[in-house]
Amino acid sequence: MTGEDEGRGPDSDVSDHQAFTNLVTPELDILYRVARTLVRRPGDAEDLVQDTLVRAFRGIGGFDGDYPRAWLLTIMRNTEVNRNRRRRPSLLFDPDSSDAVADIGSAGQPEEEFVGGEFERAVRIAMIALPEHYARVVELVDIDGLSYAETAELLGIPLGTVMSRLHRARARIRKQLAAAGMAPPGGIT
Amino acid sequence: MIIWPMSRIRGVMSCRQAARVIQSYLDGETDIGTGRAVATHLEMCRQCGMKAATYEAIKEALARQARETDHETLERLADFVDELIHTDPAGGPEAA
Repeated sequence: MTGEDEGRGPDSDVSDHQAFTNLVTPELDILYRVARTLVRRPGDAEDLVQDTLVRAFRGIGGFDGDYPRAWLLTIMRNTEVNRNRRRRPSLLFDPDSSDAVADIGSAGQPEEEFVGGEFERAVRIAMIALPEHYARVVELVDIDGLSYAETAELLGIPLGTVMSRLHRARARIRKQLAAAGMAPPGGIT
Repeated sequence: MIIWPMSRIRGVMSCRQAARVIQSYLDGETDIGTGRAVATHLEMCRQCGMKAATYEAIKEALARQARETDHETLERLADFVDELIHTDPAGGPEAA
Protein backbone atom coordinates (compact mmCIF):
# COMPACT_ATOMS: atom_id res chain seq x y z
CA MET A 1 0.00 0.00 0.00
CA THR A 2 3.05 2.26 0.06
CA GLY A 3 6.10 3.10 -1.99
CA GLU A 4 7.77 0.08 -0.44
CA ASP A 5 5.74 -1.98 -2.87
CA GLU A 6 8.42 -1.51 -5.50
CA GLY A 7 10.41 -4.66 -6.17
CA ARG A 8 7.59 -6.75 -4.84
CA GLY A 9 8.12 -10.42 -4.41
CA PRO A 10 5.74 -13.24 -3.67
CA ASP A 11 5.85 -12.47 0.07
CA SER A 12 4.83 -8.85 -0.40
CA ASP A 13 1.97 -10.01 -2.65
CA VAL A 14 0.74 -12.30 0.09
CA SER A 15 0.86 -9.55 2.72
CA ASP A 16 -0.84 -7.08 0.33
CA HIS A 17 -3.55 -9.61 -0.37
CA GLN A 18 -4.05 -10.21 3.32
CA ALA A 19 -4.10 -6.46 3.98
CA PHE A 20 -6.74 -6.03 1.30
CA THR A 21 -8.87 -8.81 2.78
CA ASN A 22 -8.55 -7.34 6.28
CA LEU A 23 -9.46 -3.92 4.94
CA VAL A 24 -12.58 -4.79 2.98
CA THR A 25 -14.07 -7.68 4.94
CA PRO A 26 -15.48 -5.54 7.78
CA GLU A 27 -17.00 -3.18 5.18
CA LEU A 28 -18.80 -5.79 3.03
CA ASP A 29 -22.07 -5.43 4.92
CA ILE A 30 -22.25 -1.64 4.69
CA LEU A 31 -21.09 -1.72 1.06
CA TYR A 32 -23.91 -4.08 0.16
CA ARG A 33 -26.53 -2.08 2.07
CA VAL A 34 -25.42 1.16 0.44
CA ALA A 35 -25.41 -0.55 -2.96
CA ARG A 36 -29.02 -1.66 -2.30
CA THR A 37 -29.91 1.98 -1.72
CA LEU A 38 -28.16 3.08 -4.88
CA VAL A 39 -29.38 0.46 -7.31
CA ARG A 40 -32.36 -1.14 -5.52
CA ARG A 41 -32.28 -4.57 -7.14
CA PRO A 42 -30.38 -7.11 -5.01
CA GLY A 43 -28.63 -8.69 -7.99
CA ASP A 44 -27.48 -5.31 -9.29
CA ALA A 45 -26.33 -4.35 -5.80
CA GLU A 46 -24.14 -7.43 -5.55
CA ASP A 47 -22.68 -6.68 -8.98
CA LEU A 48 -21.94 -3.12 -7.88
CA VAL A 49 -20.15 -4.31 -4.75
CA GLN A 50 -18.10 -6.79 -6.78
CA ASP A 51 -17.13 -4.13 -9.33
CA THR A 52 -16.20 -1.84 -6.45
CA LEU A 53 -14.02 -4.53 -4.90
CA VAL A 54 -12.23 -5.17 -8.19
CA ARG A 55 -11.48 -1.46 -8.59
CA ALA A 56 -10.40 -1.19 -4.96
CA PHE A 57 -8.06 -4.16 -5.31
CA ARG A 58 -6.45 -2.72 -8.39
CA GLY A 59 -6.18 0.72 -6.84
CA ILE A 60 -5.01 -0.22 -3.37
CA GLY A 61 -1.48 0.91 -4.19
CA GLY A 62 -2.75 4.49 -4.09
CA PHE A 63 -4.65 4.13 -0.83
CA ASP A 64 -3.04 5.75 2.21
CA GLY A 65 -4.66 3.43 4.73
CA ASP A 66 -6.87 6.05 6.36
CA TYR A 67 -10.66 5.80 6.41
CA PRO A 68 -11.12 2.63 4.33
CA ARG A 69 -14.91 3.02 4.34
CA ALA A 70 -14.73 6.51 2.83
CA TRP A 71 -12.21 5.24 0.26
CA LEU A 72 -14.45 2.30 -0.68
CA LEU A 73 -17.55 4.50 -0.87
CA THR A 74 -15.76 6.87 -3.24
CA ILE A 75 -14.81 3.93 -5.43
CA MET A 76 -18.40 2.71 -5.33
CA ARG A 77 -19.63 6.13 -6.42
CA ASN A 78 -17.22 6.23 -9.37
CA THR A 79 -18.09 2.66 -10.29
CA GLU A 80 -21.79 3.43 -10.25
CA VAL A 81 -21.28 6.58 -12.32
CA ASN A 82 -19.43 4.58 -14.96
CA ARG A 83 -22.08 1.89 -14.96
CA ASN A 84 -24.79 4.52 -15.40
CA ARG A 85 -22.94 6.21 -18.22
CA ARG A 86 -23.16 2.97 -20.09
CA ARG A 87 -26.80 2.33 -19.25
CA ARG A 88 -28.86 5.37 -18.39
CA PRO A 89 -28.69 8.88 -16.94
CA SER A 90 -27.27 8.80 -13.44
CA LEU A 91 -29.53 9.11 -10.45
CA LEU A 92 -26.54 10.00 -8.32
CA PHE A 93 -25.61 13.27 -9.92
CA ASP A 94 -27.11 16.64 -10.66
CA PRO A 95 -30.02 15.69 -8.46
CA ASP A 96 -30.98 19.28 -7.69
CA SER A 97 -32.38 19.57 -11.15
CA SER A 98 -34.42 16.44 -10.71
CA ASP A 99 -37.93 16.23 -9.41
CA ALA A 100 -37.95 12.53 -9.88
CA VAL A 101 -39.93 10.73 -7.26
CA ALA A 102 -38.08 8.23 -5.14
CA ASP A 103 -38.77 4.59 -5.77
CA ILE A 104 -38.37 3.64 -2.16
CA GLY A 105 -39.67 0.16 -1.60
CA SER A 106 -40.34 -0.48 -5.24
CA ALA A 107 -37.92 -3.40 -5.13
CA GLY A 108 -39.09 -4.59 -1.72
CA GLN A 109 -41.02 -7.73 -1.13
CA PRO A 110 -44.80 -7.16 -1.07
CA GLU A 111 -45.05 -8.32 2.52
CA GLU A 112 -42.50 -5.71 3.59
CA GLU A 113 -44.87 -2.98 2.55
CA PHE A 114 -47.30 -3.89 5.27
CA VAL A 115 -44.95 -4.64 8.12
CA GLY A 116 -45.00 -2.20 11.02
CA GLY A 117 -47.59 0.08 12.53
CA GLU A 118 -49.60 2.90 11.09
CA PHE A 119 -46.88 5.44 11.88
CA GLU A 120 -44.23 3.42 10.06
CA ARG A 121 -46.47 3.02 7.05
CA ALA A 122 -47.12 6.76 7.02
CA VAL A 123 -43.37 7.46 7.16
CA ARG A 124 -42.81 5.05 4.31
CA ILE A 125 -45.49 6.72 2.21
CA ALA A 126 -44.00 10.13 2.98
CA MET A 127 -40.61 8.82 1.81
CA ILE A 128 -42.13 7.70 -1.48
CA ALA A 129 -43.43 11.22 -2.02
CA LEU A 130 -39.96 12.76 -1.58
CA PRO A 131 -37.85 13.81 -4.56
CA GLU A 132 -35.22 11.16 -5.24
CA HIS A 133 -32.24 13.25 -4.11
CA TYR A 134 -33.86 13.97 -0.75
CA ALA A 135 -34.95 10.39 -0.17
CA ARG A 136 -31.51 9.04 -1.01
CA VAL A 137 -29.79 11.13 1.66
CA VAL A 138 -32.37 10.12 4.27
CA GLU A 139 -31.96 6.47 3.37
CA LEU A 140 -28.18 6.60 3.51
CA VAL A 141 -28.15 8.30 6.93
CA ASP A 142 -31.21 6.83 8.65
CA ILE A 143 -31.49 3.39 7.11
CA ASP A 144 -27.93 2.53 6.09
CA GLY A 145 -26.33 4.34 9.03
CA LEU A 146 -23.75 6.41 7.14
CA SER A 147 -22.35 9.56 8.74
CA TYR A 148 -22.85 12.93 7.07
CA ALA A 149 -19.24 12.86 5.86
CA GLU A 150 -19.59 9.37 4.39
CA THR A 151 -22.84 10.33 2.68
CA ALA A 152 -21.21 13.44 1.20
CA GLU A 153 -18.28 11.34 -0.01
CA LEU A 154 -20.53 8.72 -1.58
CA LEU A 155 -22.79 11.20 -3.37
CA GLY A 156 -19.98 13.59 -4.28
CA ILE A 157 -21.75 16.56 -2.71
CA PRO A 158 -20.71 19.05 0.00
CA LEU A 159 -21.43 18.24 3.63
CA GLY A 160 -23.71 21.27 3.84
CA THR A 161 -25.82 19.89 1.02
CA VAL A 162 -26.25 16.61 2.88
CA MET A 163 -27.41 18.57 5.92
CA SER A 164 -29.82 20.80 4.03
CA ARG A 165 -31.34 17.87 2.13
CA LEU A 166 -31.82 15.94 5.35
CA HIS A 167 -33.40 18.95 7.00
CA ARG A 168 -35.81 19.55 4.15
CA ALA A 169 -36.62 15.88 3.65
CA ARG A 170 -37.43 15.28 7.30
CA ALA A 171 -39.45 18.49 7.46
CA ARG A 172 -41.52 17.28 4.51
CA ILE A 173 -42.03 13.90 6.14
CA ARG A 174 -43.09 15.57 9.39
CA LYS A 175 -45.50 17.87 7.58
CA GLN A 176 -47.07 14.93 5.83
CA LEU A 177 -47.42 13.12 9.14
CA ALA A 178 -48.94 16.23 10.69
CA ALA A 179 -51.42 16.46 7.82
CA ALA A 180 -52.37 12.85 8.53
CA GLY A 181 -52.84 13.69 12.20
CA MET A 182 -49.82 11.70 13.31
CA ALA A 183 -47.57 14.56 14.39
CA PRO A 184 -48.05 17.94 16.02
CA PRO A 185 -48.13 20.76 13.45
CA GLY A 186 -46.08 23.98 13.39
CA GLY A 187 -43.01 24.92 15.44
CA ILE A 188 -39.46 24.27 14.32
CA THR A 189 -38.99 22.71 10.94
CA MET B 1 -49.39 32.39 32.37
CA ILE B 2 -46.78 34.35 30.41
CA ILE B 3 -44.72 32.26 28.03
CA TRP B 4 -41.42 33.94 27.18
CA PRO B 5 -39.84 33.19 23.82
CA MET B 6 -36.61 31.24 24.27
CA SER B 7 -34.66 34.05 22.64
CA ARG B 8 -35.62 36.33 25.54
CA ILE B 9 -34.01 34.06 28.09
CA ARG B 10 -30.35 34.91 28.48
CA GLY B 11 -27.94 32.22 27.33
CA VAL B 12 -30.62 29.92 25.96
CA MET B 13 -30.75 28.98 22.32
CA SER B 14 -33.71 30.44 20.41
CA CYS B 15 -36.20 28.29 18.50
CA ARG B 16 -34.73 29.56 15.25
CA GLN B 17 -31.20 28.65 16.33
CA ALA B 18 -32.39 25.25 17.52
CA ALA B 19 -34.14 24.63 14.20
CA ARG B 20 -30.83 25.11 12.37
CA VAL B 21 -29.06 22.35 14.27
CA ILE B 22 -31.83 20.04 15.39
CA GLN B 23 -31.20 17.45 12.68
CA SER B 24 -27.45 17.36 13.31
CA TYR B 25 -28.18 17.05 17.03
CA LEU B 26 -30.51 14.09 16.51
CA ASP B 27 -27.91 12.46 14.25
CA GLY B 28 -25.16 12.92 16.82
CA GLU B 29 -23.24 15.20 14.48
CA THR B 30 -22.96 18.30 16.68
CA ASP B 31 -20.13 19.19 19.05
CA ILE B 32 -20.70 18.71 22.76
CA GLY B 33 -21.42 22.39 23.48
CA THR B 34 -24.02 22.70 20.73
CA GLY B 35 -25.55 19.40 21.76
CA ARG B 36 -25.98 20.60 25.33
CA ALA B 37 -27.50 23.89 24.18
CA VAL B 38 -30.01 22.08 21.96
CA ALA B 39 -30.87 19.60 24.71
CA THR B 40 -31.50 22.48 27.13
CA HIS B 41 -33.70 24.24 24.60
CA LEU B 42 -35.71 21.11 23.94
CA GLU B 43 -36.28 20.63 27.65
CA MET B 44 -37.50 24.19 28.07
CA CYS B 45 -39.52 24.62 24.88
CA ARG B 46 -42.49 22.31 24.74
CA GLN B 47 -43.25 22.99 21.08
CA CYS B 48 -39.70 22.31 19.86
CA GLY B 49 -39.48 19.34 22.21
CA MET B 50 -42.57 17.83 20.59
CA LYS B 51 -41.19 18.40 17.11
CA ALA B 52 -37.88 16.85 18.09
CA ALA B 53 -39.75 13.84 19.45
CA THR B 54 -41.53 13.51 16.10
CA TYR B 55 -38.22 13.68 14.23
CA GLU B 56 -36.81 11.03 16.53
CA ALA B 57 -39.81 8.81 15.91
CA ILE B 58 -39.32 9.27 12.14
CA LYS B 59 -35.67 8.33 12.46
CA GLU B 60 -36.54 5.25 14.49
CA ALA B 61 -39.22 4.20 12.02
CA LEU B 62 -36.71 4.52 9.18
CA ALA B 63 -34.00 2.68 11.10
CA ARG B 64 -36.41 -0.23 11.50
CA GLN B 65 -36.55 -0.45 7.71
CA ALA B 66 -32.84 -1.23 7.63
CA ARG B 67 -32.23 -4.18 5.36
CA GLU B 68 -30.28 -6.92 7.05
CA THR B 69 -27.73 -8.34 4.67
CA ASP B 70 -28.37 -12.05 4.55
CA HIS B 71 -25.59 -14.39 5.57
CA GLU B 72 -25.40 -16.03 2.14
CA THR B 73 -24.79 -12.70 0.38
CA LEU B 74 -22.01 -11.79 2.80
CA GLU B 75 -20.46 -15.20 2.34
CA ARG B 76 -20.61 -14.87 -1.46
CA LEU B 77 -18.94 -11.46 -1.25
CA ALA B 78 -16.23 -12.80 1.09
CA ASP B 79 -15.64 -15.66 -1.36
CA PHE B 80 -15.45 -13.09 -4.15
CA VAL B 81 -12.71 -11.19 -2.27
CA ASP B 82 -10.82 -14.42 -1.77
CA GLU B 83 -11.14 -15.29 -5.44
CA LEU B 84 -10.17 -11.78 -6.46
CA ILE B 85 -6.87 -11.72 -4.60
CA HIS B 86 -5.91 -15.08 -6.02
CA THR B 87 -7.10 -14.82 -9.60
CA ASP B 88 -7.46 -11.13 -10.49
CA PRO B 89 -7.20 -11.06 -14.30
CA ALA B 90 -5.38 -7.72 -14.21
CA GLY B 91 -2.62 -9.29 -12.13
CA GLY B 92 -3.35 -7.74 -8.78
CA PRO B 93 -2.86 -4.35 -7.21
CA GLU B 94 -1.03 -1.67 -9.14
CA ALA B 95 1.92 -0.12 -7.32
CA ALA B 96 1.39 3.45 -6.13
